Amino acid sequence: MSVGIEHFLTVGALLFCLGLAIALSKRNAIGVLMGVELMLNAVNLTLITFSRFAVSERPITGQAFAVFIITVAAAEAAVALALAVSVYRNRETVDVDQLNLLRS
Amino acid sequence: MLFLEAAPASAPTIDEAILWAIMLCPLVAWGLIAIYVRKIPVAAGYLAILGVGAACVLSYVTLFNVMDADGGIAIHSHEWFSAGDLVVNLGVRVDGLTAVMLVVVTTVAFLVQVYSTGYMQGDAGYGRYFAHMCLFTVSMLGLVLADNLFQMFIFWELVGLCSYLLIGFWFHKPSAAAAAKKAFIVTRIGDLGLLAALLLVWTRAGTFDVTAIQEWATSGEPEGYIVTLFALGLFAGAAGKSAQFPLHVWLPDAMEGPTPVSALIHAATMVAAGVYLVARFFPVFEASHDAAQFVAWIGAITALVAATIALVQTDVKRVLAYSTISQLGYMMLALGTFGYVAAIFHLFTHAFFKALLFLGSGSVNHATNTFDMRQMGGLKKYMPVTYWTFIIGSLSLAGIFPLAGFWSKDEILLDAWRHDRALWAIGLSVAFMTAFYMFRAIFLTFHGEYKGGQPVDHHDEDSHFHGDPAHPHESPWAMKGPLIVLSVPAIAAGWLAYDHLFKDFIEAALPHAESHGSTFEIGIAISSSVVAVAGIGAAWAVYMKRWVTSESIRATFAPFAIIFENKYYLDRIYEDLFVRTIFHRGWNALLQANDRYVVDGIVNGSGRLAREASSRLRVIQTGQVQSYGLGIVAGVIIIAVAVITANPL
Repeated sequence: MSVGIEHFLTVGALLFCLGLAIALSKRNAIGVLMGVELMLNAVNLTLITFSRFAVSERPITGQAFAVFIITVAAAEAAVALALAVSVYRNRETVDVDQLNLLRS
Repeated sequence: MLFLEAAPASAPTIDEAILWAIMLCPLVAWGLIAIYVRKIPVAAGYLAILGVGAACVLSYVTLFNVMDADGGIAIHSHEWFSAGDLVVNLGVRVDGLTAVMLVVVTTVAFLVQVYSTGYMQGDAGYGRYFAHMCLFTVSMLGLVLADNLFQMFIFWELVGLCSYLLIGFWFHKPSAAAAAKKAFIVTRIGDLGLLAALLLVWTRAGTFDVTAIQEWATSGEPEGYIVTLFALGLFAGAAGKSAQFPLHVWLPDAMEGPTPVSALIHAATMVAAGVYLVARFFPVFEASHDAAQFVAWIGAITALVAATIALVQTDVKRVLAYSTISQLGYMMLALGTFGYVAAIFHLFTHAFFKALLFLGSGSVNHATNTFDMRQMGGLKKYMPVTYWTFIIGSLSLAGIFPLAGFWSKDEILLDAWRHDRALWAIGLSVAFMTAFYMFRAIFLTFHGEYKGGQPVDHHDEDSHFHGDPAHPHESPWAMKGPLIVLSVPAIAAGWLAYDHLFKDFIEAALPHAESHGSTFEIGIAISSSVVAVAGIGAAWAVYMKRWVTSESIRATFAPFAIIFENKYYLDRIYEDLFVRTIFHRGWNALLQANDRYVVDGIVNGSGRLAREASSRLRVIQTGQVQSYGLGIVAGVIIIAVAVITANPL
């Protein structure tokens, strides 16, 4: 059995669903962030897959996109963690259920 | 009638600028008074006299010019604006009819302005008064000079506005304010008909031009009922303005205004605008005999109804008001019986002697502080000039040979006689009543013992009465002068009937002169004179000699007297039936219900809907980012599934 595009995409989709489930269900803000990271990486995996298997004039596009996402994800992680620390300092908790200031 | 066909009229050569200047002189005076000198009484008065006087001189220039041209027509028209097919012109039209109206309006307006400087002396609103009077003169001149119906309509409404402003001149008096509103609203009912006629003629004939409309109506091209509808629409407007039955109720109340206003607007000029309008579109009425018949009968009914009410009035000004309505009915009667010349001739003479009578009653008021004849009497020896001019006006109105009223009234009766004997009989009985009520007024006012007038109320700060009613005095020269001047045309204006002078001049304004034979018949003249003398004699017997007391006459004809005294219950019917029942209880209640249940229901309902819906929807607004995310994911999945199902691979 050779490893084809379906396998890569399936792994990508599973990873994405896992990340989504974590992001939506975790109560800890750090856990939610980790879920988001997982989703980003799932997307990266999918992009690389298409880049590898696609018949395209410029197959490098998908890879460049992935590198770009990794960079942005790093920045996002830094900002989000800083926010989490800031919220913890103010509210003594990082439980997202408690963070419902939007509800009047 | 050989000479009628001779000498086709040539167009008057008068400069267009002069025609516009007639309108502009009072307009400039109005502007200057309103903006600069409203607070300077003397300047306002002289400025108004100057403006109207200039217009008066130019009007006479125009008249002589048109006479030189044998009453030809000159039209100067300019396009004002156009929108699609609609082209509205701004122009002046001058012919015999216009020239006569110009002279009547400016002459009476000028004399009334002079008189007003005496009568309105010391009034707080002196400047405002002259501004309004100037504006009125402008509007009236614009109305008679207009060469198209649209322009006419604009000025028509403007004179209505001025009438409103001047009736309500002493607006702090509730009765004056109410009378002004009544005049405005009642004439508006008629104006609705005029507006309908305007729209009708636009959709059918596609023009507003007077000459074009006259040709259109007589061409036989439009269906008969269209012409009749158009004519009736015009007449509805005319009936409102000229106080024809059943829209006459506003005119007696309009006497709340200052007396010179009544003389100018509600006797000589504005109320004649309706007659002028019908005369201007006379060929339309000739083309529709049904409409003409209607006009004649409404005129006759008006003349009769108003004359009977005038018999029992105790206020001298109201006697004159009902007399005016009655004479306007006469003019309409003449127009309806195709007596075009007779109607305009009567308009012409009536303007002078009725203005004279109104100014005379104002002079009496100036001395006695009242219009109630029961508080007067014996004024003959105190006010000789007023007395004699009043006598001249009354004789002229009563139609006594050889004064002005005799000639014009006679022509009307002659036309009525040729057309319909019933109309003539009504006209003749009205002539009797006219003579009776005018001399009743004279005997009550000027003869017998003086009863002291109305004591001056010194607490009434608005009263500008100066003299002492207990010792009446003759009015100043500013007031006597116009009375004397006006009594000249009141005596002599009728002599223009001689040798068809007036008739030929006026008829040239019509597209086709239609002669009805001579304008004088000795039988008609004798019958109307006998009736007029009988009326005067009856008044003399009752109010001077007291052979029969008025009380006993009243007792004998009690049912009639009660009807007359209550003005045929028309005011009551309008007030109770139309205003209270139909408007307040019916229409207003309907509107109120609509407002309360439909409009408020929609407004409140939409508010309630928003509140209910949002109170249900707020449950899902948890403030939890994760639940929102869940919603987003669910939405994406639903869309994805839908797209995939719709586009299978």
